[in-house]
Amino acid sequence: MRHTISVLVENEFGVLSRVTQLFSARGYNIESLTVAETLDSSISRITLVTRGDDRVVEQIEKQLNKLIPVIRVVDFGGSPHVEREMVLIKVRADAQTRPEVMNIVNIFRGKVIDAGKETFIIEITGDEGKIRAILELFEPLGIKEIVRTGKVALHRGTRVFGPLAQEGDGKAA
Amino acid sequence: MASAESNPKAPRTLRAATASETAPGPHPMAGKEMSNADIILQVLADEGVDTVFGYSGGAILPTYDAIFRFNESHAKEEEVRLIVPATEQGAGFMAAGYARSSGRVGVFIVTSGPGATNAVTPIRDCQADSTPVVLITGQVPRVAMGTDAFQEAPVFNIMAGCAKQIYLVTDETKVEQTIRSAFEIARSGRPGPVVVDIPRDVQLAQQPFVGEGLLPMRGYEERQAALHSTKMSDAQAQDFYELLGSSSRPLLYVGGGVINAEAAVELTAFARHFKIPVVTTLLGIGAFDTTDPLSLRMLGMHGTAFANYAVEDCDFLIAVGSRFDDRVAGKVKEFAPNAKIAHLDVDASEIGKVKFVDWSHIADAKRGLAQLLKAGKEMGFKRDFEAWQKHVDGLRRGHPMNWNRESSYIQAEYVLAQLNEITKGEAFVSTGVGQHQMWAAQYIDFKRPRTWLTSGSMGTMGFGLPAAIGAQLANPDALVIDVDGDGSIRMNLGELETLTTYDIPVKVLLLNNQGDGMVRQWQDLFYANRYSGSDKTLHKKDFVKAVEADGFQFARRVTAADDVRRQLEEFVRFSGPAFLEVMVDPHEHVYPMIGPGAGYREMITGDFIPSRGDANTKAETPEGYF
Repeated sequence: MRHTISVLVENEFGVLSRVTQLFSARGYNIESLTVAETLDSSISRITLVTRGDDRVVEQIEKQLNKLIPVIRVVDFGGSPHVEREMVLIKVRADAQTRPEVMNIVNIFRGKVIDAGKETFIIEITGDEGKIRAILELFEPLGIKEIVRTGKVALHRGTRVFGPLAQEGDGKAA
Repeated sequence: MASAESNPKAPRTLRAATASETAPGPHPMAGKEMSNADIILQVLADEGVDTVFGYSGGAILPTYDAIFRFNESHAKEEEVRLIVPATEQGAGFMAAGYARSSGRVGVFIVTSGPGATNAVTPIRDCQADSTPVVLITGQVPRVAMGTDAFQEAPVFNIMAGCAKQIYLVTDETKVEQTIRSAFEIARSGRPGPVVVDIPRDVQLAQQPFVGEGLLPMRGYEERQAALHSTKMSDAQAQDFYELLGSSSRPLLYVGGGVINAEAAVELTAFARHFKIPVVTTLLGIGAFDTTDPLSLRMLGMHGTAFANYAVEDCDFLIAVGSRFDDRVAGKVKEFAPNAKIAHLDVDASEIGKVKFVDWSHIADAKRGLAQLLKAGKEMGFKRDFEAWQKHVDGLRRGHPMNWNRESSYIQAEYVLAQLNEITKGEAFVSTGVGQHQMWAAQYIDFKRPRTWLTSGSMGTMGFGLPAAIGAQLANPDALVIDVDGDGSIRMNLGELETLTTYDIPVKVLLLNNQGDGMVRQWQDLFYANRYSGSDKTLHKKDFVKAVEADGFQFARRVTAADDVRRQLEEFVRFSGPAFLEVMVDPHEHVYPMIGPGAGYREMITGDFIPSRGDANTKAETPEGYF
């Protein structure tokens, strides 16, 4: 089963490599990975998507919690949350296919961010289902290249995922 | 953080706050401008380090110079003694032996490139056996990093996969905090090795000394604070005693976590209060006096028959600071098949990792056992396990350890049993890895924690000699014996000279069976006696001559069984470093044996240990896991 996991880490040298080594040393795969600073620039947030049964994901969480620079870990599975990913799609857009490309872009509320004689680059943001759908529609028109940011996720509602002190829920991760 | 709450002025630390900890004034050296190399030495001194192990080289020279100058400017008793091994691996195992035998953090300091890569094996060994050490490695100067400079190696990348934590200090203002943090991390929680890689130019940079402060590690601090403050809930204690109350054959299964947590006293109190017999893992040896009537010694692949039968028979297994390693659990499904399981461990990731458990609590063994016993006493828990004790005593009497007493060869078991009569559970004993290690675990008694030093999880041959050196330096007045094999001792043979160089009175007992006995045993059992790579009968080394050349005043070889006892006594009594080689049976196997991946029911007890007869099967080709 696919799991989206967020990890808050000390924004310091080598943390990302420790996290990825943890996966490679156990033969676990990372399907996507994003990293950037949070509001507090001393903390980075890693969001990764991995696959495994409950036991494997429990071990991943526990092992992540053993890394010294890891502040907190959350598996979004099971709790209400939103997930988004951005994709840039270079699609064939010549005189013939251009109207159809534009149609699809509009339906999915995407953006054309580069237009050439032969190709457009489309920016699209959405959850897994939406991205899969648009890719399916572009497929027959001729996708030249895509690049994906990897997923990010937030809990719905007031729940905040931060260091314990900020969150103030008094519970250990 | 627990300590900060109870005493706002106390220095920031990851340890549980102690009542005696008082707020110190500013560090006497605070504000003084000095090189980072000198800062490193000052932090080591502040941490109470009296001995460092290591080998010099270009990229670490500034720090070695700082050691020299530190010792020149300090009184003898304040010195940071430097012990130089034959190789960096030796330094690492000396630091490990120092740490394991004393409970203090072991320190070793090596140069970049090959110095650092030679240190990888002890770092991984320390991680696998939860040993607190700090390794400082020199790195090429910052401008040269990544250029394949002379003696450059990607230490961060290599060590990150092996150590509890690794720092590459590229910011010259962070050296002091980093070294101090390394000590805190090494000894807190589940202990382990921390590596600090410092480029040469960073060592030379001048900085004002602060005298306090750690790197930010908010998550780790929170987790440590939680470990120190969480109490076992009444409901949880109730659940435990319900399990104990509904059992009639409880067994404590104890690992190295009890030793790391200094919880031998709590364990002993717990076991004796309820009269629950105790089996230990290889690393748990010493956590419970092996001469205690409740001790069943070691369980597992080469555990005693009575320990393993007790595991088979028990109906409630209480795991404390142990982790169901494959050498213990064998075929996991069939491990302790009739038992409910409780698991107390400091490391949450060990709960449920291998085996489903019915009850668990995350705490260090000291705290956890004390809380559990207190709760049991308060609720007035009483249950009579006398029938089970009688059963267990019967197992011990009916299936005692034994060896071939008819052979014309000297038996290693006999040598160790004789040694045990002399040391009586009081000596520090280190080992290499293999048959001699298992026999030492089976036949030597240990009354106190930290006196048994062996490479368990990694199984690193060559561990014994340098570990004994570290243990002797941490315990200068103790009797420290390295029980070694001819294969293992060759791996760090250079350290024999270290003994005479520093006049370290370690006793080296070499059980020479002319080969890698444990490998041969597996080849006998699973590879039709094809001794690929394990036979050393053609090896020419005369160990006695070799150690004489190293300056040993006591260097003897024993080839007759009736000479063993007398020679052992003289060997142990000798005042300086001593070497005794005993030529032992090259064909003997270690028994009992639970084959790899086999269940306890399939334990082979060999020709000399009575089997229960319900499962004395012949070994078969191991399936799956080696």
